[in-house]
Amino acid sequence: MTQEMSKDYILEMKGISKSFPGVKALSNANLRVKPGEVHALVGENGAGKSTLMNVLLGSIEPNDGEIIYMGKKVLFHSPHEALLNGISMVHQEMSLIPSVSVAENIWMGREPEFTRLGLISEKKRLGRTRALLDKYHINVDPKSIVRTLSIANMQLVEIARAISYNPRILIMDEPTSSLSDREILLLYDIIKDLAKEGTTVMFISHKLDEVFKLCDRITVMRDGSYINDFAADEITKEELIAQIAGRKISEMYPKIPCEIRDTVLEVRNLSHKGLFKDISFRVRSGEILGLFGLVGAGRTETMEGIFGIRSLDGGEIYLDGNKVTIRSPKEAIRHGLAMVTEDRRRNGIISNISVKYNISLANLSRISRGNIWIRKTKENGDTKALAEKLAVKTPSLNQPIGALSGGNQQKAIIARWLYTNPKVLILDEPTRGIDVGSKSEIHRMISALAGQGLAVVMISSECEEIMGISDHVIVFNNGHISGEFDRSEFNAKRLVQSAFDVNFKEVHEGINEENE
Amino acid sequence: MKVSMKKMSNTNKLNILLDNKAILIFLLLFIISCFVSPVFLSSRNLLNVIRQISVSAIVGIGFTCIIASANLDLSVGDMIGLLGAEMALLSRAGLPFGLVILIGVLTGAFCGFMNGMIGVSIGLPLFIVTLATGQIYNGITLLITHNSAVTGISPEFKALGQGYLFNIPTPIYIMVGVGIVIYLVLNKTTFGRHIIAIGGNKEAAHVSGIDTKKVTVGVYMLLGVCASVAAVVLTGRANSAQPSAGAGMALDSVAAVVIGGTPLSGGSGKVMGTVIGCLIVGTINNMLNLLGVDSNWQSVAKGLLILIAVSLDVLSDRYFKKRMEKA
Repeated sequence: MTQEMSKDYILEMKGISKSFPGVKALSNANLRVKPGEVHALVGENGAGKSTLMNVLLGSIEPNDGEIIYMGKKVLFHSPHEALLNGISMVHQEMSLIPSVSVAENIWMGREPEFTRLGLISEKKRLGRTRALLDKYHINVDPKSIVRTLSIANMQLVEIARAISYNPRILIMDEPTSSLSDREILLLYDIIKDLAKEGTTVMFISHKLDEVFKLCDRITVMRDGSYINDFAADEITKEELIAQIAGRKISEMYPKIPCEIRDTVLEVRNLSHKGLFKDISFRVRSGEILGLFGLVGAGRTETMEGIFGIRSLDGGEIYLDGNKVTIRSPKEAIRHGLAMVTEDRRRNGIISNISVKYNISLANLSRISRGNIWIRKTKENGDTKALAEKLAVKTPSLNQPIGALSGGNQQKAIIARWLYTNPKVLILDEPTRGIDVGSKSEIHRMISALAGQGLAVVMISSECEEIMGISDHVIVFNNGHISGEFDRSEFNAKRLVQSAFDVNFKEVHEGINEENE
Repeated sequence: MKVSMKKMSNTNKLNILLDNKAILIFLLLFIISCFVSPVFLSSRNLLNVIRQISVSAIVGIGFTCIIASANLDLSVGDMIGLLGAEMALLSRAGLPFGLVILIGVLTGAFCGFMNGMIGVSIGLPLFIVTLATGQIYNGITLLITHNSAVTGISPEFKALGQGYLFNIPTPIYIMVGVGIVIYLVLNKTTFGRHIIAIGGNKEAAHVSGIDTKKVTVGVYMLLGVCASVAAVVLTGRANSAQPSAGAGMALDSVAAVVIGGTPLSGGSGKVMGTVIGCLIVGTINNMLNLLGVDSNWQSVAKGLLILIAVSLDVLSDRYFKKRMEKA
């Protein structure tokens, strides 16, 4: 790589670090972007891409590092300030107001541009909107109410709004995820036009084909750090995948070899329209089954379907060989399932009640007489023993669980589920947002539990974690199973490839071609 | 297994004090009242204060469970009006007292059941449902009473509402009884734990295998039963059923519960706090009465109290969050 002077870059981020309580989200991350280029930012979920962009926009304040933008050192304090300085971002989530028109949405907050004597000239605003939409061939009526638009058109309006600020840098976070093929092509044209006009485009995407088609330069991030950047034409897709996946599995993942016995849970052809289709797998006693894939690939939704949190359109569930129907978490628990959910705050912990109450919650019948009267001594004793066994660090079990660190909250939730004596333990992103120390403790715990004969299903977006402790891995892509690997055939590159490719069938064909 | 007591840190001590700030406010008021009026401390006046708050305390105690489950019931006042009228009419028609009470309690449970059931089966916010059912209950009351008080009821009502046992007014016994029962339900039973769990985080409770709909309906039935008990005492006190007997009681209950330290966001329920909340309101009213202040000032005082109690909650929460972040 050639050494270039910093004046060649419109944007340089150097040594950016950011810690949240217990988690290091960014450590020494770098980014260099030349004016007028289309620059891709790639990496697994949780690699720090969005955090880095949020630091740039000023919605997250970094602990360390500096940002040089147009030759000057800057630190924005809000996305609005960044916007006024020419940095505009299209977020993954919709930020339009559904109940008002396209034109009103696009110029929201900039009404004075169309105002005469305190009144807004609707004609002028519609005209400007139409000119903007026409220029980029976006076929949407400026007068239509946003709510009535298709998701794809909303996304395009969102992009049009970002462009309307005439930014020097336009950041797009997975802009094509909700677009159909036709609109994706339209978006590519828009990006090419913008680049021609001298706008710099930052592009966060999981679709590697798209990245190669569109981008001049690619920055790879992993574990909150900058890994490398490349010109798009000097790297192959395979090399890029290897960069994203990382090389080795660290010592962090202690895998205890244990005997795998009978099948406990088996599912056949599970489907839910629009979320997942034809999902079949089994997990055996003593086995850790890893579910890998990108966020939104259908892993969480499938397991929620099995656990009765959401309904299933079709498919069968077998426990110990017997067919069962599960309509609610209550029934799932009765059948011996347990699920540590992905979003601890949303549906895991009850933050303002004590650690003790949180642990006993899913099996109150065990500490009560006739399922009515709670036996305090039994509850105190049992929860204390479990908390000690799982090394939950808390000043007292009467402490509200919300006051604990993420890692200790997670251990307490695992304790809650172990207290139900499950046969199958489902863990959805069990170490997300958890500090490194607790993380390996939790890995050790999961391994040990499998060793005691539990069947474990672990969803994770971290390739190393999945390969570190799973016996068998299933990869989800777009609601389908796109790959299946036994521990002996684990290969980070192939796992990541199965997870990332737009159409996994093409991947398999691609692999076949390579072999020829 | 024996659980060793952990040493309390200073933070914990302060926390406990702030947790029971209703008691502090009450003691402060009590002392002030003693100085302000010599009559205040007489046993007759004190018993009078407690008797006056007994009905609102009975409703408030039931309401504590509703708020602990992060719900609201705006219909409870109208429900009391309906239950009082129903029981009075049945009593006047000559039904034995015991049967009248039984029917009243069952009707109360049924009204609560309807509130809860409509809410959870359609998925409506319960405060909207109870806003509507309250109107319905009130309308039915006015229809069956023809807009006028129902008199000529059996003497047992009067005994419960106005009588004395060992020189202490009977409503006080009833209030204490209801308080103990609800305290036990909320703190010692699995149902109580479920109430607190759905109030703290409904989704987490659901995932943990709690039938959140059943629990919600159950809480509303519990309040319905409390409302029927309150209706009996209220009817006895007036020796007749007034169609508007429960007017304003729903919001008064919310006030007592909040002053008593139960957070409106749910996840915790303080039965004792609610009783003290009622005592605070009662003491202020009594003091203003003794001083001969225009009774409309009572409403102003109640409003100020709610603001003070809730602000204290928010400020102490913020204080502890800051301390925790520093630690």
